[in-house]
Amino acid sequence: MRTRALIVILLATQIAAHARKCIVGPQATRTIKEALALTADCDTVVVKSGHYREGTITLERSVVLLGEGWPIIDGEGAGEVVVVKAPHVTITGFVVRGTAISNLNDNAAIKCISVTDVTIRNNRVEDSFFGIYLSSVDRARVEGNQVIGDPATDENSRANGIHLWKCANVTITGNRVEHHRDGIYLEFVTDSHITRDTTAFNMRYGLHFMFSHRDSYTHNLFHDNGAGVAVMFTHDVVMTDNRFLRNCGASAYGLLLKEINDSRIERNIFADNTVGILMDGCNRAAVHANRFSNNGWAVRLFANSTDAVCESDTVSGKTSDVTTNGDLVLSLLKRNYWDRYRGYDLDRDGHGDVPYRPFGLFALVTERMPYAMVLSRSLMVQLLDESERLLPSLTPKSLEDLSPLMRPPHG
Amino acid sequence: MLKVCKYTLIDLARNRFAIGYATLLLLVSIGLFMLEGDPTKALISLTQVVLALVPLLALVFTIIYFYNQYEFTVLLAVQPLGRRNIVLAQLLAITIAMLIAFLVGIGMPVLVFAPSAAGWTLLLTGAALTAVFTAIGGWIAVKNRDRARGVGIGLVTWVLMVLVYDALLLWIMFAFSDRPIEPVIVPLAAFNPIDLARILVMLKIDLAALLGYTGAVYQQFFGSVGGMLVALCALILWVALPSWRAVSAFASKDL
Repeated sequence: MRTRALIVILLATQIAAHARKCIVGPQATRTIKEALALTADCDTVVVKSGHYREGTITLERSVVLLGEGWPIIDGEGAGEVVVVKAPHVTITGFVVRGTAISNLNDNAAIKCISVTDVTIRNNRVEDSFFGIYLSSVDRARVEGNQVIGDPATDENSRANGIHLWKCANVTITGNRVEHHRDGIYLEFVTDSHITRDTTAFNMRYGLHFMFSHRDSYTHNLFHDNGAGVAVMFTHDVVMTDNRFLRNCGASAYGLLLKEINDSRIERNIFADNTVGILMDGCNRAAVHANRFSNNGWAVRLFANSTDAVCESDTVSGKTSDVTTNGDLVLSLLKRNYWDRYRGYDLDRDGHGDVPYRPFGLFALVTERMPYAMVLSRSLMVQLLDESERLLPSLTPKSLEDLSPLMRPPHG
Repeated sequence: MLKVCKYTLIDLARNRFAIGYATLLLLVSIGLFMLEGDPTKALISLTQVVLALVPLLALVFTIIYFYNQYEFTVLLAVQPLGRRNIVLAQLLAITIAMLIAFLVGIGMPVLVFAPSAAGWTLLLTGAALTAVFTAIGGWIAVKNRDRARGVGIGLVTWVLMVLVYDALLLWIMFAFSDRPIEPVIVPLAAFNPIDLARILVMLKIDLAALLGYTGAVYQQFFGSVGGMLVALCALILWVALPSWRAVSAFASKDL
């Protein structure tokens, strides 16, 4: 083991001895392109502060591109700005802007195509079409970047902030994406981790992924996005400790799950969304210890979802708790805390002695006829709701929490 | 007319029922705000109380007061006063008294605990409801000679507007659920002053954004200047029409 480590260190020093450092700035090489032409693999190109207008810069060797004092790479609307075509590239410390808006090409500020081991760290991507674009990339790290679009542009001239297509083993962490179409977009991306990112004010979804199996999403913040977060056609997803805030609108969701199998959704916070979670064709989802507050609907559980288990969640809100659209519910609610539960606990085991039925008659009516919402909180509707609660006949009987908690499970 | 109004008001100020009404509202609203930590939730509960209680009490009180004042009204009628002026003055006095009671009972706590847009909307719509149901009460009382019958009709009116109307709306929605009745439902609901008041308050308690598509539609209708004007016109109509009916009924009444 020790000799192997020694060999690694020796090799590293060998490489370091070969690697050169090339400086781009007013006193040295004038353009990044010139500097790149002089480099070999493993070199470092240090770019001093300045405004570099060089059209599309293509990296064809494994170099470290290091910005000092926030140098600006400006594509001036000519197409792509930085294109990475070699493995083991690191890009850090730049302001990148000026991609062309196009309906034919996916022009991006930083684009990596068919490479491995790329690191894009602490850059600021401004007013670009696509921000950071990874296509067929294995083992990449996108960290601490600010990808901020122009709030004034319309949806057709916006694209995704961080866009991944057919990648694996990618870590996206500590980024901030605002005013794009989708904040973070993943398609065919497997075994990746998305952590501590913030996406806000994006026109469509804060996070959008499809066919992206075995990924995890933790400690992210998604707020004020046009339609919240949408995840589709994926299995083995882990979503924990995220916050989904203020995603309001006619078809907006905190979290939209469509055709998701075997996922874990834990300790997330859903507040002020039109719908907290919408589960459509969602099998074996474990919804555990989440907090729902002030959502129009906390959970909409479509009848085509089976074996979803909602446990230890805290639900408080002004309108509906859990609704469904069918008569048969094959999912389970247990040991949740419901703000509106009015039962009692005679044996003092912490669980209410009468079941809680979150799906009221009025919720059922509005599920079928949304415009009936005009009667919300009318005295008559409340009487109907109350009678249905006492003698359930129309609402699906299986949608009930047999052991609701008397106190919130956390704090 | 102003003199009649003034003396009726002085009489009302000593009325035990009017004072009791103000106290009841005050207790209910303060109690709700104290019990519920979240002022928005308290406001929602309070809205429900206001929407049920205020019309009922305004209606019943006006009717009973009119019957109690019958002899005084007859006395006034033999004076050189216009009959229309007498009824209008009495209606005005009762409305003012009920409004004061409402503002003391609900207005003060709301302004202290929840001085938000929703709070103001509740106050305005509650005040409008008071005026509407006082006018309706006056009409019923003038129209019917028998006291028990008058009170009975008042109660039936209340039940019709609070419960039956909504049930009817719901039935219409069910019956025509496969047709695009959405554009009809909003004006239909807005036609009932109680429903109108409820929708206006609910829209302000930022529920609209949470109610998805329908909420957005209602917000679009009532949030616009045109929608507000329609709402205002509806309420004014609900005050003016019964008042006019009361006045004209009294003008030709055999005392």
